[in-house]
Amino acid sequence: MIATLAADVEPGAVRGAEMEIPEIPVIELVRPMPGFSDDLSFTLVRLDDDGTLCELRSLANPDLRFLVVSAGLFFADYAPEISDDDAQALELTRAEDALVLVLLNPGESLESTTANLLAPVVVNTTSLRAAQIVLDDRRHPLAAPLVR
Amino acid sequence: MLVLSRKAGESVLVGDDIEVTILEIRGDVVRVGIAAPRSVSVQRSELIAQVSDSNRAAASPSANAVASLAAALRKP
Repeated sequence: MIATLAADVEPGAVRGAEMEIPEIPVIELVRPMPGFSDDLSFTLVRLDDDGTLCELRSLANPDLRFLVVSAGLFFADYAPEISDDDAQALELTRAEDALVLVLLNPGESLESTTANLLAPVVVNTTSLRAAQIVLDDRRHPLAAPLVR
Repeated sequence: MLVLSRKAGESVLVGDDIEVTILEIRGDVVRVGIAAPRSVSVQRSELIAQVSDSNRAAASPSANAVASLAAALRKP
């Protein structure tokens, strides 16, 4: 249970260098997201022109979708630590390949919308492998207000 | 469920390559060490349950919720 930093990924470097989210036709999860054991293939689609709000949609079950934003765009100080094992599973060797997405729980308004910082979805934009990484770090809340 | 009594320092082998060791027992807290292959994910159960609940709540929001969030985030 000891989270160590991957040797090739500097502390804090997995910051979501790309603020703008690219569309990615097929992303393969290396393990299912908790609660959704049947869905491993997703597509990442932009919902607006500037790539701020996007959705992860299951390829097997198009009714299943999650709203996501780039972590770095809304949480400038957020720098989740990725373990060696997770980095290896994602074939992640360069920090700039990591796209860090956070899942949104939309509220009635923007102010009540929260982001899951405890378990970001990290996508290797080169290998197109991804995982929802549960950080086990009390600094990262499960429901952080998206805007303050 | 298999129930075993173990003392501090003793361990249990699960399959061929997962070893669970009782490291320390102090009051109502037991420290447990788990040695498992890289492919085996080891997490606190309640943490995964929390993430699972949050994921379910986040899944497939209504078209209205998506539209209003998209509008709220749109740059002026």
